[in-house]
Amino acid sequence: MDTFLQVLAFGVLRAGLYALTSVGLALAVGVVGIVNFAHGEFLMLGAFLGYWLFVLYHVDPLVALPASAVALGGLGAVTYHVAIRRVLQAAPLNQTLLTFGLSIALQNLAVVLWTGDNRAAPIPYAHLSVALGSVRVGLPQAVVSALAALLTVALYLVLDRTRTGKAMQAVAQDRLGASLVGIEVDDAYRLAFALSAGLAGMAGTLLVMQFAVSPYMGLSFTLRSFAILVVAGLGNVRGVLPASVVLGLAEAFVEYYLPGGTGWSEAVFFVLIFAVLVARPQGLFR
Amino acid sequence: MRDRRLWLDVALGGLFVAGAFGFGVWAEEANPYRLAQARTVLLYAVLALSWDLLARTGQLSLAHAAFHGLGAYTSVLVVRATGLEPALGVVLGGLASAAVAIPLGWVTLRLHGIYFAIATLAFSEVLRIAANQIAWAGGATGLVTVPLFGGRTVLQYLFLLGVLAALMALSRALQASRWAYAFAAVRTNEAVARALGVPVVGCKVAAFAVSAFFAGLSGATYAHAFLFINPLESFHLGISVAALVAPIFGGLYSTAGPVLGAVLLRGGEDLLRERLGAGYPLLYGLILAAAILFLPRGLVGACQGWSLRRPLARPAGRAARRAVAEGTEEA
Repeated sequence: MDTFLQVLAFGVLRAGLYALTSVGLALAVGVVGIVNFAHGEFLMLGAFLGYWLFVLYHVDPLVALPASAVALGGLGAVTYHVAIRRVLQAAPLNQTLLTFGLSIALQNLAVVLWTGDNRAAPIPYAHLSVALGSVRVGLPQAVVSALAALLTVALYLVLDRTRTGKAMQAVAQDRLGASLVGIEVDDAYRLAFALSAGLAGMAGTLLVMQFAVSPYMGLSFTLRSFAILVVAGLGNVRGVLPASVVLGLAEAFVEYYLPGGTGWSEAVFFVLIFAVLVARPQGLFR
Repeated sequence: MRDRRLWLDVALGGLFVAGAFGFGVWAEEANPYRLAQARTVLLYAVLALSWDLLARTGQLSLAHAAFHGLGAYTSVLVVRATGLEPALGVVLGGLASAAVAIPLGWVTLRLHGIYFAIATLAFSEVLRIAANQIAWAGGATGLVTVPLFGGRTVLQYLFLLGVLAALMALSRALQASRWAYAFAAVRTNEAVARALGVPVVGCKVAAFAVSAFFAGLSGATYAHAFLFINPLESFHLGISVAALVAPIFGGLYSTAGPVLGAVLLRGGEDLLRERLGAGYPLLYGLILAAAILFLPRGLVGACQGWSLRRPLARPAGRAARRAVAEGTEEA
């Protein structure tokens, strides 16, 4: 029973992080209508920002979060302005390929700048853990997941309670209708894309507390975010939280209960994508 | 008009194949290093043109790495187990990829655009993970194998040239046939295509299977040319990327475009590797993004546009130019 609870706790903690990585992508898909393959690369850049700030200036990743949000948000706005805006009316194939090209370019730019090595930041409290009854969890994992879930909920509140958030929802529902009632569609798109990149950057910076960073780390998060989006229903921002829990728990249980599970857990997202796409393409939570 | 273009294409294609043949025979003695490079270029030309076949139905596949790896693993495993001639193993590799593509396509080709891309990307990542985990397939260490045609690079090169020539002929024949219209209809509007009586899913599955066959052939040849395979390299996402960047850069939905793109990009790659080291795909990413933004019809499309805009020597020239300017003639 204790092991079961332990595995359950790991799964839930992982879900928090997954929610933060994928909610930004859900926003880009839902509002701008762009499936951004470079999302994981924004996360990777956020991770490198956190890593270098820690290694060079001893800035704690938690303190670096606002810097990461501003830097990646800015990069997102620039990316929107230079590239994404030009393909809004283009065929979906072209949109996908454009972001795919961006993803490859950013990833390999990081390889050119920082080599392909894995780099782990020597965070002093990385190995501390806390006990909750019979379950023990790592302190960084717990903090990261709590913050990630908090940021995800904060995004929901922004979307529901503020004028800007409502404007984004309006644009998502009907571009023409929104522009007729005086919403600047282009501004809403730029803001949504910047927010999306900023959230990915923050997720990346938080990751520095748990994982080594490398230029290639983005893809596995892009893939997992796709899996979560597919489970939630493409563009459904609100379904991201429950879908993240599904993926986090499934991975944790496969890792523990399947023989040789650690290697296979990477394949869990594929089974989820495949099963959901074939059986219920509109998503489980819609 | 159509006939003249067909003969022009056949002549150009023949010229390309003859030139490549001459180069192979010459380079065997004179420059074996360039010959080995040219062999890699041909591997990628086959991948790129076979990718384009499916793209013509409007589906963006990221499964080419999967079929490449499946071909490589099938051939290597069969040759290791039975001592079969590698040339037959290569054909088996292609058939195995096609055999997997049919059920996979039957399920996933009902998905559109991004859904299909995500599903195929996930499929090839999972094959890589599986090859990593399964002990009898070599696990993470990989497998060694015997060379194709006793390791004679020139024969491997000529074999690949033959495969590419066959694929080019098939691609050009498809474009001249009713299938070209069926594919274009499926690509532009599936509902209309279905209403016109085009078997939409059947078209896509057939294109997927042929596409996978040639990708498997290319992967298996790669395995028996480089004599070593492992999950990371055989199922590398970069293979899918290279297979789609070449047609987009060269010109989608054409026979010349993907081949031209592969020759230019792969040919220039060694130069890039020297300059940028492990980060050389940086340029692939930039070319892909730039091609989408500034060259949406690729090099071939840009050349066609340019030749149509040039004043023609014949009296019909003025009318043709006006038609192009007014956008009445399909370019």
